Amino acid sequence: MSWKLLKYGFKRSHDEPRFFPEPKELKSHYDVVIIGGGGHGMACAYYLAKEHGITNVAVLEQGYIGGGNTGRNTTIVRSNYLTPEGVKFYDTSVKLFEDLSDEFDLNIFYSTRGHFTLAHTDSAMRTMRWRAEVNKHYGIDSEVVGRDEIGKAVPYMDLECAGHTPVMGALYHAPGSVARHDAVAWGYARGAYNRGVEIHQRTRVTDIRTRDGRVIGVDTDRGAISCGKVISMVAGSTPRITEMLNLPTPIEIFPLQACVSEPVKPFMDTIVVSGSLHVYVSQSSRGEMVMGASVDPSVLHSTRSSFDFVEGLADQMVDLFPFMSRLKVMRQWAGMSDMTPDFAPIMGKTPIEGFYLDAGWGTWGFKATPVSGKTMAWTAANDQTHELIEPFRYSRFADFDLVGEKGAASVGH
Amino acid sequence: MKLLDCPLIGRRPISEFDYVGEVRKPPVDCDTATWAAFVFNRQGAPSVLRERWYHRPTGYWFILDRDTLTDEVKAIVDAREVRYDIPA
Amino acid sequence: MTYRLDQQPLEWIDRGRTVTFRFEGKSLSGFAGDSISSALMASGHSLLGRSFKYHRPRGALTLANHDVNALFQSADATNIRGDVEPLTEGIELHACNVNGSLENDRDRFIGLFARFMPVGFYYKVFHRPKKLFPFWERKIREKAGLGRVNTDWTEQRTPKRYDYCELLVVGAGASGMQAALTAAEAGADVVLVDENPHIGGSLDYQLANEPAATGVRAALKDKVRNHANIRLFEQHYAAGWYTDHYIPLVGPKGITKLRAEGMICATGVMEQTAVFRNNDLPGVMMASAAQRLISRYAVSPGHRAVVLCANDEGYRAALDLMEAGIELAAVVDLESTPQRGSWAQQVTDKGVPVYRGCGIYAAQGSRHLQSVQVAAFNGKDCDPSELTAIDCDLLLMSVGWAPASQLLYQAKGKLGYDDTLQQILPRELPAGIHACGRVNGAFTLEQRLADGKRAARAALAELRGEFHAESQTLHRDRQAHSHPWPIVSHPAGKNFVDMDEDLQLKDLVNAAKEGFDNIELIKRFSTIGMGPSQGKHSNMNGIRILAAIRGQSIDKTGSTTARPMFHPVPVSALAGRRFRPERRTPMQEWHEAHGARMMEAGHWQRPEYYGQPEEREQAILREAQAVRSRLGLIDVSTLGKIEVLGPDAARLLDAVYTMKMSTIRQGMTRYALLVEDSGVIIDDGIAARLGEDRFYVSATTSHAAATFRILSQTVMDLGLDVRLVNLTDSLAAMNLAGPLSRELLKTLTDVDLSEESFPYLGIREGTMCGAKVRLIRVGFVGELGYEIHAPAHKAMEIWHTLMRAGARYNIRPFGVEAQRILRLEKGHVIVGQDTDGLTNPFEANMPWAIPLKSKPWFTGKPSLVVLKERCQRRLTGFMLPQGYSGERIKECHLVIKDGDIAGRVTSIAYSPALGRYIGLAMLDLPLANEAKTLHVRVDSGSLVAMSPCKTPFYDADGKRQTADLTEVA
Repeated sequence: MSWKLLKYGFKRSHDEPRFFPEPKELKSHYDVVIIGGGGHGMACAYYLAKEHGITNVAVLEQGYIGGGNTGRNTTIVRSNYLTPEGVKFYDTSVKLFEDLSDEFDLNIFYSTRGHFTLAHTDSAMRTMRWRAEVNKHYGIDSEVVGRDEIGKAVPYMDLECAGHTPVMGALYHAPGSVARHDAVAWGYARGAYNRGVEIHQRTRVTDIRTRDGRVIGVDTDRGAISCGKVISMVAGSTPRITEMLNLPTPIEIFPLQACVSEPVKPFMDTIVVSGSLHVYVSQSSRGEMVMGASVDPSVLHSTRSSFDFVEGLADQMVDLFPFMSRLKVMRQWAGMSDMTPDFAPIMGKTPIEGFYLDAGWGTWGFKATPVSGKTMAWTAANDQTHELIEPFRYSRFADFDLVGEKGAASVGH
Repeated sequence: MKLLDCPLIGRRPISEFDYVGEVRKPPVDCDTATWAAFVFNRQGAPSVLRERWYHRPTGYWFILDRDTLTDEVKAIVDAREVRYDIPA
Repeated sequence: MTYRLDQQPLEWIDRGRTVTFRFEGKSLSGFAGDSISSALMASGHSLLGRSFKYHRPRGALTLANHDVNALFQSADATNIRGDVEPLTEGIELHACNVNGSLENDRDRFIGLFARFMPVGFYYKVFHRPKKLFPFWERKIREKAGLGRVNTDWTEQRTPKRYDYCELLVVGAGASGMQAALTAAEAGADVVLVDENPHIGGSLDYQLANEPAATGVRAALKDKVRNHANIRLFEQHYAAGWYTDHYIPLVGPKGITKLRAEGMICATGVMEQTAVFRNNDLPGVMMASAAQRLISRYAVSPGHRAVVLCANDEGYRAALDLMEAGIELAAVVDLESTPQRGSWAQQVTDKGVPVYRGCGIYAAQGSRHLQSVQVAAFNGKDCDPSELTAIDCDLLLMSVGWAPASQLLYQAKGKLGYDDTLQQILPRELPAGIHACGRVNGAFTLEQRLADGKRAARAALAELRGEFHAESQTLHRDRQAHSHPWPIVSHPAGKNFVDMDEDLQLKDLVNAAKEGFDNIELIKRFSTIGMGPSQGKHSNMNGIRILAAIRGQSIDKTGSTTARPMFHPVPVSALAGRRFRPERRTPMQEWHEAHGARMMEAGHWQRPEYYGQPEEREQAILREAQAVRSRLGLIDVSTLGKIEVLGPDAARLLDAVYTMKMSTIRQGMTRYALLVEDSGVIIDDGIAARLGEDRFYVSATTSHAAATFRILSQTVMDLGLDVRLVNLTDSLAAMNLAGPLSRELLKTLTDVDLSEESFPYLGIREGTMCGAKVRLIRVGFVGELGYEIHAPAHKAMEIWHTLMRAGARYNIRPFGVEAQRILRLEKGHVIVGQDTDGLTNPFEANMPWAIPLKSKPWFTGKPSLVVLKERCQRRLTGFMLPQGYSGERIKECHLVIKDGDIAGRVTSIAYSPALGRYIGLAMLDLPLANEAKTLHVRVDSGSLVAMSPCKTPFYDADGKRQTADLTEVA
């Protein structure tokens, strides 16, 4: 039994400090305004305060902390990307994730499970090898494994896939993990708050004011604020923010859906993704099977659920895991994915001075939470795009210098 | 499943359609920046977007104005309205 | 001891059919029509399960699938909801989530340590030291989850049905039946759905003994059952509302996907728990649960009862208990001066003590309720200074209701709190959505029937585009049926708000204290409403508690999103029947009969090679050699084939493809490369000119549909006078390749095959085997060869003829693998293998296919103008020394220069023609220009040296594609 549990048990009253402050009035000026109180925004506020001593910061969140894609993703963390820039970036993120529980003194349930990306065709096998080779080059633990090894690790999976698209092999990424997504945002939020950052929930940014090409403040539904720097970290709401500045971006919003089964006793320790079948699954610490697929086919700014999503997912999932046909889907939901043409984010400085963008996360935002916060904080503090995110710069599209992440599978959570 | 009104054969489930995206006319004789903006940038914010949809069973294209916030189809547009010319 | 009552007038059980089953190793029996829970309770088992976290004993709570106290495991399934799952003969059941047995659950002691597990405790512990977390995590995972999965269970899939109606009515209680009937009588096509095995709703349990309901019930049921315009879906639940009134109805045999024009929610209300200490003991249940138990299953919920109430319904339940022969010890009414109706009067008249202005301070008992402590209640809390103990084994809770408004929320209805009814009610409902009955605040039978009629009229008027003026608030009751604060604190806690998650009052209070004090955060931190019953019995109290903490109104506090599903839906039903469309070329059976190993190519299957898997490599080599030395035949029917007709045909192809197609001479073909606006290669094929206004283009297998779409979009965008015909399916194609191909073919066709009249890259139309065919001189595999495009129905005959006639030349069918080697020897690129999602033609080493100067426009040209100057990598040929026998190089192995990644191998194969390994690599510039030696890192991590070289590797000047056998021999 943990000492802390005893401490809680013998305390007479529940005197745990607040994670988040009581709501209070907006100040008239902040040095930095962060739009978006999800994982990224909270992480950025945290690192601004912790590593750069910038504490006159307001995080403005139109809903509640972690209520956007932070609380809607399927919590997978991994670094087995295709491009060197992607691998370096996400590897930094994984390493930060590993220490977050300790850093926050808050258990984010970071749980290393091992991550299989199945290949059902020889072209998928080629992509897996490509990813494995690039990963290994940068010291990332990834390898192409055959059916035997998959069968040993996931003995209850039907490698024949009901006879239609047999599994040929997989990319195995041992560091693949899951974490409690909400707790990541809460931990960062608490850390930022304790260092003096103000967090304002239910505060919607209605406009961003500029003068001579630089940011001078933001208007909100609770009043105007002046500030020298604005960092937009709003994922699926990005185009609404950039539109305020007439800043064009390639970002389009597509719903991404997921669902969970009723809880069952944990039996599945690995994360399994099949790009060809467009499904992925892991089991949460509560015992629910957490399942998802690829983004919806058309642009939509909505978190509505569709029935065809869950039908298609169930159909494919049963091919891989026949016994799962006896489980029940309990709940489905959706998030809004901010997709870019090259499946890589858009980060760093923009043509508008003092306006920094952290967007274009597509389906991969959660796993980038710590590193995004850290590099964006550095970028805003130094007014210079951090080298780790230089490949993701806003100007790359104008330069026809895209990131090659598109070569990876279409489903890659 | 959502329904779309196919001008040829009425209301059909959306799974019969391919979504192609916003109707965009390529700029001609422009500088590189304008061209790059055409190639990559999109109207990402919620709006009534003029889009191309392709009905696979009939091979029929149609253009519609759809509110990307509410998913409501506001109008079906004659394809002739979105024609453009290219340098010959 | 049996708890089975004498026959009840409306009971669902069939006493003539005994059903035997086993529970926790014991043989028991019930009747057909019993649920698992009712059969167990009839046999005296009030302990039905153990709670999720503390493994507390649990019994029936709602009996309505609004809680998961009674979850069971059988050989075939888990998380079986005993309250609603019909009992089946011979089933062997165990409780879920117990360590040992239900009776002696070794984890029941966890409850003793509850004080050490405050809300969200797991966020605060186990993570230090980091090394120990995996240990703790294992421990937590052992305790997590409910039922156990058997991974040997076989696949289950149930077929789906589709249906349509004008008006869907959800819920066949009084208002729902009335609404369906009114709509049906007006001519509407109605579907009426109810999750229960029988229609009737609360008429049949709450008003079972109410004389006034008898006539209404019989008439409504009879008319509903017999009306031609009403289709009844009993034992089906509406799993969710989806865009455009798409509502899956889930029943025991699967899903019916219903499309409605409009929907009336007559979904009723869900009874809510009173919160007090030990309110989860078996024997404490909703009043409606006891009424269900008695009326449906003729099972007595106990012997001596106390009823806790805050509404008339509690008194009705008290009367029902007495009617069933259960001793009624007392009624405890939370209100001190209640305005109660005739039911309360009847209870008083029968001499039952009524404690007004009192609540239950605590329930007592270890495994089952033994007594309750009654204390004065001031609307906020109980006063524990004076407690009255009453012995009882049954306590009914009748303190309030939450609307079953999930579908309304999903349909984007707006609801708000009504202070009169103390209930959340519909405010603004979107088009096509209506609500009636208790979900809409109509509580008396008269109100419900009137409201059902009103909703039907409103829905019909809307469907028919008519005006309808009746307010949806017209028939709402004017008194509360829910108590605004049915919650009593206790220093020792165990006053549960959410039974699924073992959440106590203090858990919510503490979560709010820690800053999780808005409705979404409190849900996420405390997990209220996140369990399998999704807050059906707990969310309303959760909102009330949070509103009280914040000092806010219920409306200001808000409610969480009601996401689908209403009840969990079996994956087997969602999956439906397995449907995997396959496309078959006319020759597929032949391939399979001749030992082909097939591989997937989208929906198609293509021969990978012919032969035994253990001889794969040799088989492929033999096939390649046959083409080089003699003759081979490959099925290429999967290629996209598109006829382009009309005056603007050439203009279209010029616009779409990089190369100039308008200058192709009639009877000739040209390489056709397709790039996106961004300049990225997406497809290739050939374009052939058959006439001035008539072209024929091919596309790769995987891109065929997309290429057709691009062509047709361009026709529309440019307003071209072009007709496109997709011949991909109606024409089959095969490639006869090898130096002897002309020799063979000339005997089988009327086309003049002489080099002069049918040169390389030519296309000719003629006949073969009596069918019209197109012959194309192609060069993909680098030999003299003819692609034969023929009507699908004649293709097999042509294939047969070629194989028979070719026998004397030792013709060999070849598959995709041999073709890959042959094309590699020629340095031809496979789009998608040698290119990736960003490769442009300059990188693919095809500058010759990009006429930037001579063509004013083609899709992607402006991008390519830029990319030509910014080319950063290029596809380059390489070879290994002859006789190389080192470690295998595989596709996607990396090229390493000075320790950095400098490219990757995109294709590699052993070339039988060259007697060495050859390949293509995408190399960074300037390496691609300068390198004399390349180093590739293989699986073991060591570097293998290879030499860059020009392509083609084989027959660089292309003589073999154009020359006669005699000339090259």
